Amino acid sequence: MATHSVTFQPEDKTVDVPTGMLIAEAARQAGLEILQPCGGQGRCGRCAVIVEGAGVRRRSTIRLSSEDVEAGYALACQTVIEDDITVTIPEQERVERRIVTGRSVRKVELPFPYDPATMQPVRVSQLHLHPPSLDDNVDDLGRLKHGLSELGISDIELPLPLLRSLGDKLRQADWQPWIAFEMIGEEGSGRARLMEISAQAFDPLGLAIDIGTTTVTLYLVNLTSGEVLSSAAEYNGQIAFGEDVISRIVYATKGDGLHQLSARVRETIHELLTRVQKRTGIVQEHIFKVLVAGNTTMIHLFLGLPPETIRLTPYIPAANRVPPYSANELGIEAHPLASVECLPGVASYVGADITAGALSSGLVDSEDLTLFIDVGTNGEMVLGTRDWMVTCACSAGPAFEGAGVVDGMRATKGAIEEVWIHSDTHEPTYRVIGGGKPRGICGSGLISLMAELFVTGAIDRGGRVNLSLDTPRVRTGNHGPEFVVAWADETETGKDIVLTNVDVENLMRAKAAIYAGYHVLARSVGVGLEDIQQFLIGGSFGQYVNVEKAIQIGLLPDLPWDRFEFLGNTSVRGTYMALLSRQAHSRVDKVSQGMTYIELSADNTFFDAFTGALFMPHTDMSRFPSVAKIWQDGNGDEVQDEQK
Amino acid sequence: MAVEIPKEKWTAQVRKVTIGATSEEGGTRAKTLTVGGESALPFLHYEGSFPNKPALAVEIRDRKPDDWSPLLLDALGETAEDPAKWAQAAEAMGADLIYLVLSAATADGNPNTPENVRAVVRKVLDATGLPIAVVGPGQAEIDNELIVPAAEEADGERVLLGVCEEKNYRTIVAAALAHNHLVQSKTPMDVNLSKQLVILINDMGLPLERIMMDPTTGALGYGIEYGYSVMERLRLAALTGDKMTQQPMIVDPGAEAWKVKESKVGEGVPEAWGDWNRRALNWETLTATTLIHSGANIVILRHPENVARVRKVIDDLSSATT
Repeated sequence: MATHSVTFQPEDKTVDVPTGMLIAEAARQAGLEILQPCGGQGRCGRCAVIVEGAGVRRRSTIRLSSEDVEAGYALACQTVIEDDITVTIPEQERVERRIVTGRSVRKVELPFPYDPATMQPVRVSQLHLHPPSLDDNVDDLGRLKHGLSELGISDIELPLPLLRSLGDKLRQADWQPWIAFEMIGEEGSGRARLMEISAQAFDPLGLAIDIGTTTVTLYLVNLTSGEVLSSAAEYNGQIAFGEDVISRIVYATKGDGLHQLSARVRETIHELLTRVQKRTGIVQEHIFKVLVAGNTTMIHLFLGLPPETIRLTPYIPAANRVPPYSANELGIEAHPLASVECLPGVASYVGADITAGALSSGLVDSEDLTLFIDVGTNGEMVLGTRDWMVTCACSAGPAFEGAGVVDGMRATKGAIEEVWIHSDTHEPTYRVIGGGKPRGICGSGLISLMAELFVTGAIDRGGRVNLSLDTPRVRTGNHGPEFVVAWADETETGKDIVLTNVDVENLMRAKAAIYAGYHVLARSVGVGLEDIQQFLIGGSFGQYVNVEKAIQIGLLPDLPWDRFEFLGNTSVRGTYMALLSRQAHSRVDKVSQGMTYIELSADNTFFDAFTGALFMPHTDMSRFPSVAKIWQDGNGDEVQDEQK
Repeated sequence: MAVEIPKEKWTAQVRKVTIGATSEEGGTRAKTLTVGGESALPFLHYEGSFPNKPALAVEIRDRKPDDWSPLLLDALGETAEDPAKWAQAAEAMGADLIYLVLSAATADGNPNTPENVRAVVRKVLDATGLPIAVVGPGQAEIDNELIVPAAEEADGERVLLGVCEEKNYRTIVAAALAHNHLVQSKTPMDVNLSKQLVILINDMGLPLERIMMDPTTGALGYGIEYGYSVMERLRLAALTGDKMTQQPMIVDPGAEAWKVKESKVGEGVPEAWGDWNRRALNWETLTATTLIHSGANIVILRHPENVARVRKVIDDLSSATT
């Protein structure tokens, strides 16, 4: 058999190998190690190398794009040598960035060119008033009004406390005061509400808050420049009283449950606010506007409205569209006169978080058939174009936000965000946010882990851990059968990080509910999933969700990867947009009135679709042809062995 | 004027499954039982072929049950004292399959043992030439402990082992694989769940020709319409080509019908309910025949008289012409 000379760069090592040898094997002979987390199955793509010369045959390029192949990339575990070649092994970091698909979480940047003069109703302006004199004896308020009229303000609301201090403040400012006000009423009506008069200049600040059932997220925004000064997220303090909206509603109806729940979410907001304040050193009294989104139940609890009618047929909330209240009334530590406004919802189970998401995801501008999914505890989704929209909600549970999972956590430092499992040894390789020791697993890590366990046969299609595998990674723990992702000595907590059967069940229910939701929603308007041109996905599962893995577990349908886009928290982003611009705010209003709500509990189609999806990736594998192929490649041998 | 009966055209059929092995096939059974193979909805002869009629299994126990209705125990008499005699009596009643249910505990309250199970299985195999099914008491750990020795003892007999459930199927399937048996795949009244467990069992390497599907049912008046609908939908899916729903179905009207008040209680019930024994018998008959209408391939019965009664319904319906 012919031998060929293979040179590896940058090490500059050359070995002679026979025709047909894999590049990975040749590298080993040259004394080099190419990482193969998946065990040389061509699944993970981490062994991508650059080949110079045409002397290779690629058996599989599943992880490479056609541009990659053109640029000479090849998978070392799937490429055989047929002639003399030079192989460059890229640095590991370059490889990592290459293999993760669909990790497009948008940075918090300005969503549009920002012009506060035309967009922002909350402003701070300096007035140049003439000091009073014996010749000019107009009263203080008249003098103020005159100054304001030069800003186009013809009609003002002046809260009593402000009037009480008006004289002092104008004089302290030497008649050159800085005024904080909010334009109210119809555009161009010239109505404004005054909130502060000060001798010093300052930028008005605003808060955009998304109250999720599981996670609360807050943006601190400079309303002059429009930029996000800082953001923070934390689990909703209400979690202790129930994981989903229904159990929260039930809790709210008992004793002073409503009061407790209301206080808890305020505490969480307080915590987040304190955090961003410490980071930026801002003055809380400069916060003049607070905009809040959340599902209908969360908004009820935040405002202290009794939510029980949301749960009972015919599912009527106290209010979908709520007028603004003051920060003082709602106990938010902003300027006491700052207005706190909740974005409008559609129905009991489709709230402001989804209307805000429809705006920020771009669905409201889309000409193509688009599905927007907010993968939250209450999985809500909207299907449509800029001209029409249908929406539904299904209870998915908090698993994808890392709650309700033994070693789950939010997507912050120390969270395992991606996992690969070796096909033969079942040894995992993982990547941790921040790069240190892991503390737990976030949503994207859970999706990745579940997919890997499934394609390597460590869990069966029903999601049960296969205890008969010959590895200490599978075992029976305190919560039943489990898979050990990280041993105690690798973790920050000094405890094993595991995924239990119960965790898998929770994740399975979550992904099945979401799949069933959009499946039924699409059918309700007579379109197939393959007709949907783009899938915009919001949710707090992490920064980098791998589309392929999300398809492998059946969370997303088996369609070309370029149709999917992960957008992170779309609700807080939409709230941020509405906080910046009154035009965006009124679009959210319009969107909330233009959506048609589909009630999934009206018949049994949803339940049928749900139980069908309670399987990996789905009971009907023919809906997931790409997954069927990978799974059979990985499990075919085992099945045959047992048949003998 | 002649009336043209509209006919449904189906594209697929129910899978054939054979329980039991004769001496040529490596077992000791005098005959085997084949069910399935039909290519239309039950009894609609003019739409398809029905190579095998619905079959009757008779439930027997490894010891006299403590909780059975006195009506049943009276009818069984002393045969209930001995599984070998009971199996012979069932054969005499006209059973196609002996359905042996193992007890969790012995009569004196001690846990049932593998040795005991081996002895009972051997006794029953020796007493009858019919194919047999052996299932555990329905508690995962005990089932696994008892079914493995039963499978070993009956090696090569193509026994139907059970009951596989979603939470506990691996051990039983492994025993079936190792000793050339079949399994009963039971799921709680849902089309998708039925299908899923068949897939999981098949994924372990057990051929589909060795899986009976048990979609679970309720007794007449106790949710039978729900079970009926699930079975009917499974059968419709099977006939339209959904491979993982094409397993023949086994259901247990005997156990279900003898659980309900109408058959259990003889006193303190409205007079209009009529004679207790007759009512109880009818309850089992009607539950069983209803399920046969919805596509059951094997029904499990308890009362000796009902074997003949249900058989008559099957025969009459099978011989009816259009």
